[in-house]
Formats: sequence, C-alpha cells, structure tokens
Amino acid sequence: MGDEDAGKVLEIIREFANVGSGNAATALAALLDMELVNEVTSCNMLPLSQVAQWLGGEQQVVAGVYTQLCGDLRSGVLVVLPEASAIMMLEHMTKEKVDLASLSAIQVSALREVGNICLCWYLVAVSRLIDTDLIPAPPDATVDLLGAVLDLPLATLGVSVDTVIAVHTVFKAYEGEFDGYFLLLPEQQMLKVILDKMGDSLK
Amino acid sequence: MIEPRLVGIAQLAVAKAPEQLCCLGLGSCIAVFMYDGHLRMGGVVHALLPKAPDKMTADSETKYANTGIRRLQRELISRGVKKERIRVKLVGGAQMFPNIDLNMKDIGADNHHAARETLKELGILVVAEDVLGRHGRSAFFNLEDGHVLIKAAFSPDKTI
Repeated sequence: MGDEDAGKVLEIIREFANVGSGNAATALAALLDMELVNEVTSCNMLPLSQVAQWLGGEQQVVAGVYTQLCGDLRSGVLVVLPEASAIMMLEHMTKEKVDLASLSAIQVSALREVGNICLCWYLVAVSRLIDTDLIPAPPDATVDLLGAVLDLPLATLGVSVDTVIAVHTVFKAYEGEFDGYFLLLPEQQMLKVILDKMGDSLK
Repeated sequence: MIEPRLVGIAQLAVAKAPEQLCCLGLGSCIAVFMYDGHLRMGGVVHALLPKAPDKMTADSETKYANTGIRRLQRELISRGVKKERIRVKLVGGAQMFPNIDLNMKDIGADNHHAARETLKELGILVVAEDVLGRHGRSAFFNLEDGHVLIKAAFSPDKTI
C-alpha cells in the first residue's frame, strides 16, 4: 500500500469510527445522565508492538470491555476507561463503593452492560453506513494493565496480521471528571467491506 | 540503575548483564525468558500466538511461541551460549476475557502449552513459571542473576 492509499484508507476508517462512536457516546451519556463530547478520532497503522504505547503505555490500569462481532464480519471493539472514570461510573450505576481490585459480580456485570450498550449503538450506526448486518457477541469486562487487556483483541486479528489499523475515539464529560475511549480494530475482511462501501464517497 | 529495555508484542531481544529486559502488561501473551548464568547473558521473546502458520516470513517468527522460542535459542547460541546451560522462565498466558466465546478458546493456555511443547522438543529446562490465571503481569528480567520480577495490577510483587 502506498502512502497516498494508506492515507485514504485511514481517512475512510476514521469517518466510519466517528459515526459509530458518536452514536455510542450519546447512548453512554444517557445511561450515565451526563453530557459527553467526542474528540476527533485518531487512526493509525501500527506494528503490533506499538499499539499499547500509542494508547499511552502498557502499565496503566484500565477497565476494558471487549466485544467481538460473530457474523460473517469479524472485528473487535474495546471500550476503555481509566481507573478514576471506571470507579466513578460504577459508583454512579451501582450506588455502592467500588474497589477495582475486588469487583463484585454485579459490578463486573455493570461494566459489561456499559460495553454492551456502547457497542450495540456503535454497530447500529455503522451497519447503516456500510449497509451490512453486524452481529455482536456478548461482551466481557476486566480491570487490569492496558497491555494485558489488549492482548486478546490483538490476538484475534488473526495469524496473518503484523500491522494493525487502530482507531481511537476519546469521549469526555464537559466537566472533565469522566473520560475514556473506544478502540476499533477492524479485521481484514471488515476493512475490505468498509472500503468497498465507503470508498466511493471520498474519491 | 539501568532503565530496562522494553520488549513489545512479537519482539525478541538478547542482552547481557548489567542490562535488563522487560515485557509490560502481559495478558494472554507469553514471555519466554532464556538465561545462561555462566555468561550472564539471556533473552526474551514476547509471543502473541501459539503456533506459526506454514507460510510466513522470517520477520514474523517472533510473533509465535513455537517459532519464537527456536529463534531465541539460535540467537543465544550464535553469541556463544551453550545449549545445555540455557534455563527458561515463563510468564503470561492468562485468560483476560473468559466469557468471550471465540473459536480459539483460551488463547493464553494455548500459548503456554505451545511454549512448553516446543521447549520439551528442544530439550530446554523450564525452571520456574508464573502463568495462566486471570490477571495481567509485567515482567522485569535481571541479567545479573537471571531473576524475573513480576508485577501485577492488584497483587503483590513476586520474583521467580
């Protein structure tokens, strides 16, 4: 892929993720009863070893909710919340004190539900965009080092991939006390469909 | 103190004391640390997947446990390490999202299994490991004595 083509591909994927994350952030805002804004989506083509550093480093403790698509098109979407935001959100939802080191079953369930809602609204928006049905599998959540959270999403991209396209959209509360991001890792087949369906509009 | 050199996913590194190597945030990935105490030299491969496909370039060897381990052994031997002196420690292979139903099942356990199998084939001794479970680990490899310090998000540090 030439530089110019790569630039075009990233531009299309960015547009795709913007639409999805905009819808997801609206749903999350309603759930949390606060106003959220999305920052500009950034998109990059990276070797596997660089993804965690691009997101701020392997050692940060984060809450990660991961879901995979289970239809013909496979891809993973990860919702990532920094420690403080995860605590704030869980305390708001469960009305109890939260210790990330020992989450109760109901708190993990709440985290998964947040991922579920975000992901479904993300998919509703983008499936219209590419006129394709996208079927999510139930999500799972964990709180751990960012590097560890990323391993499975990267591993599921398949054996043939050495460079990944990572798309990252930050959402923030106006007041600034809550933030996080959506990370989309489109697998090859998914990428092809996105480019086929959306490529024309950008020429 | 010397800043440890970071070895990311699908990377391999070889070093000699007083240098240090580290792999940060290991989840389902497996880090294979090899050490020769006589030369105080060693290395690590940070593998993402258990087994390499039939067709692949040499650049991708370090992404897989089976080919990465062989490559690391070759790199060490080419620097004068004796095969019989190599001792191995394994870190990682956790299951971070146990409720995600994937075709590939538990990839952390698969990584660990593939590493063990390959090391057995090569006749290399595994002297210690901190593997499996459901949490991430950061591993710091001290080439002075071959110890690996393991840090997790919510549990106390330990050394193997």
